[in-house]
Amino acid sequence: MKTTVLLSHARHPVSDRPQLSRLEAQAIALAAEVDEAPSGLHAGRNETGVVAALGHGLTALDRLDLADTTDPLSALAAFLTRQRFDLILAGRRGEGGHETGLLPYRLAAILGLPILADAVAITPGAAVETLVVDQAMAKGARRRVTIRLPAIVTVHPLAPPPRPFAYGPMRRGTIRRHPVDGSANAADLDTAEERPHRLRPKLMRQSAGQAAGANLYVDPTPEEAARLILAYLEANGIRRYGPLNDR
Amino acid sequence: MTATFLPWIVVLMIAVAGVQIGRRLRLWRRGQPAPVDWLGGLRALPKRYLVDVHHVVERDRAAAKMHVPLAGGLVAACGFLLIGLVTGLTAWRFFWALVTLAFLAMTAGALLEIRRRYPRRLARLSGGSWQTFPFALIAFAIASGLSALFATFGNALPALELLTLILAAVGGVALAATAAEGPMRHALAGATHLVVHPRPQRFGGGRSTELKPLDLDAEKLGTETPADFAWNRLVAFDACVQCGRCEAACPAFAAGQPLSPKHLIADLAAASAGGERPPYHGNPYPNARPVGGRIGLHAPIVSAEGVIHPDTLWSCTTCRACVEECPMMIEHVDTIIDLRRFQTQERGAIPLKAEEPLANFRGCDEPNGRVLAERTDFAAGLKLPVIAAGGQTDVLLWLGQAAFDLRGQRTLTALIRILTAAKVDIAVLGADERDCGDLARRLGDEATFQRLASANVAALASVRFRRILTADPHALHVLRNEYPAFGGTYEVVHHTAFLAELAAAGRIPLSPLAGRSITYHDPCYLGRYNGEVEAPRRLLDALGLERHEMARSGKRAMCCGGGGGAPVADIPGDTRIPDLRMAQAAETGAKTVAVACPQCAAMLEGVTGERPVVKDVAELFLEAIEAAAMRPAEAVRALEVEPA
Repeated sequence: MKTTVLLSHARHPVSDRPQLSRLEAQAIALAAEVDEAPSGLHAGRNETGVVAALGHGLTALDRLDLADTTDPLSALAAFLTRQRFDLILAGRRGEGGHETGLLPYRLAAILGLPILADAVAITPGAAVETLVVDQAMAKGARRRVTIRLPAIVTVHPLAPPPRPFAYGPMRRGTIRRHPVDGSANAADLDTAEERPHRLRPKLMRQSAGQAAGANLYVDPTPEEAARLILAYLEANGIRRYGPLNDR
Repeated sequence: MTATFLPWIVVLMIAVAGVQIGRRLRLWRRGQPAPVDWLGGLRALPKRYLVDVHHVVERDRAAAKMHVPLAGGLVAACGFLLIGLVTGLTAWRFFWALVTLAFLAMTAGALLEIRRRYPRRLARLSGGSWQTFPFALIAFAIASGLSALFATFGNALPALELLTLILAAVGGVALAATAAEGPMRHALAGATHLVVHPRPQRFGGGRSTELKPLDLDAEKLGTETPADFAWNRLVAFDACVQCGRCEAACPAFAAGQPLSPKHLIADLAAASAGGERPPYHGNPYPNARPVGGRIGLHAPIVSAEGVIHPDTLWSCTTCRACVEECPMMIEHVDTIIDLRRFQTQERGAIPLKAEEPLANFRGCDEPNGRVLAERTDFAAGLKLPVIAAGGQTDVLLWLGQAAFDLRGQRTLTALIRILTAAKVDIAVLGADERDCGDLARRLGDEATFQRLASANVAALASVRFRRILTADPHALHVLRNEYPAFGGTYEVVHHTAFLAELAAAGRIPLSPLAGRSITYHDPCYLGRYNGEVEAPRRLLDALGLERHEMARSGKRAMCCGGGGGAPVADIPGDTRIPDLRMAQAAETGAKTVAVACPQCAAMLEGVTGERPVVKDVAELFLEAIEAAAMRPAEAVRALEVEPA
């Protein structure tokens, strides 16, 4: 099964040095399950981070020689169309680039391939040109899906840990550098809105039952409000004095 | 009759032994080339054998009492007989009396060896052919001795003399025949090993403990098969006499982890020969993991199919206790690191927990993934200047990994406060101080280590200082002994030595901490690796502490279990190494264990239950300063200490 792993331009959260994203390293480990010699694909000029992918289990790395300000989508699509991979694995989003998380989906749209998100395990299907994917769902649930190849599959952080890095194989791995014709578009950033990051409170898990019911009261009296709050606390087991009516 | 034949029996024995050892010689030649100073080695052989080896053998008095007459008698008798053959002294009766005496000594030695093995042999000794070996020795010694005795008194009983001669010939040839695969190999390979030893600097009172840099452009990184070892390492494996002193000293073995240095060396000696795996008659690896046992000069050593299970490799704390105890001067730790280098760098076959710090090293130069610029955060409120490029200081303080650890920070805070009180001109590198790379190197990640070493050497080259001070013996060892290979030669001093200097100079008023009983736990990387066992004790004595020694202390101290990446590899055993060490500390009755290494502090403090308190030497020193400050001014006096 001819497999490639899309490698983004990630940066280390502490040192800000270019590095291989952990999720993509996990994708390599998954790729190695179905392909003896998986390759990787990176669009960008800087090799220092992604070259580590060769030490995590890739045998070869294709690098599209593309400026960092360029939208890699069309160049990637053109390359993938030429190479005809059976399986394209990707992380969820870049780490340190523009990080829209949309690239795999837009790629799937251009290439006309099915895309399946959040894989934690892959195995070749019983029929030829199929792949069995275990998808991670909320609360630890798993769903087993069989898809027809070729396809794009993104990897979930709960996939098995990456293979430990090995310096020797990285040194021996091949890097194929591909020039890209100048027609590539600059990244379409103008339409994007930019605003300062704002921390949002964590969504608290709602307990089952009545607490999930309507609890929006518009302009209640203070006494009514107090009664409602106490009733809410009682109902959710935060305060235990018995119903107010009993006193 | 004896006069005619006995010398020829010796010649025959030498010929047989020569043929046998020749087989191993051909095998050794298939190892990797290594630079060897043959002439120097040969010249130094008698001294290395009689001084360095004997010094180690003598630590076990019973062994020395056995080996001196046994080997001495054998060598002397054979030597006399050869001289007799050449010079014609065999016609002289007094000559035969001498030969008889030599064989008598050998007989006595063989008897002592039998006493070590019967009725029950010492637990660390090997059985099998090693168990029957003394009988071959004694048979040869008695038969030859009797023959020589007959020769001394003239040919009185020719029939008996013929019988003893035949016995001598049979026993002698049987002995010589074991020179390739059997016990006698230790003598010939051991002598060769002393000549071609990979670390000749360690003889004659010297020290050589630093790991050698690996050529990162080599075809293969590290050691996969026996043929990848340098040829003089293959000699070392053959030199093993299976005395088991390494095993008795090994902390991993004691804790029930699947490592025995003796078994490992025996496995490697067997693996290089190939063919059928010979039986091993020593203690098995504790909780031995099953392995396939496939051996051969070109078969992978460490794998489930090979002879050594990966868990064995990752159990080692690199404490060098085995190397310190080995009378054959085998370098076990070098061997383990060579094997680890291949596993890590070529196969990425490292325990997953140990991969975490390595990944952090690659990402941000720090094993716990901390921000380098935050290394000095703990010292907020303390006087700790960060030196800029081009700056100058007298003492450069190397903080190390301890600065990120709460326990280590307590020690470093104490140290900095002492230095401030003593008005020592100190500074730190700040964000330019990367981890020294000790952990990466011991885990076999040489590429990462070399990158960190080069970066640190460059950072150290950008500032001027007289010497480096560190509270971490691992950093000390790496900076002092391993960075010179990367172009950085520094005067590095450990805080115990530095504080001992301060105390001796009497510049700080100290109040004796009398009445407190302590025991000092030697860090492996300070004691065994750098030979510094005196200064910490001098310092503790200067503080007026009542010092009790553990049974294993100084250069023979037991490891805390914190070195060589063993805590991150975390190979399960029956118990934990620090628990064993803490039990030894508690045995002395001391209420405090003085430590001098952040790793030791962390490991020993991790011991649960009732136990002595763990204090770094710097913390005790600060207590003495503070006690002095509490007392009325007139009562304060600087402690007088005899200069070293």
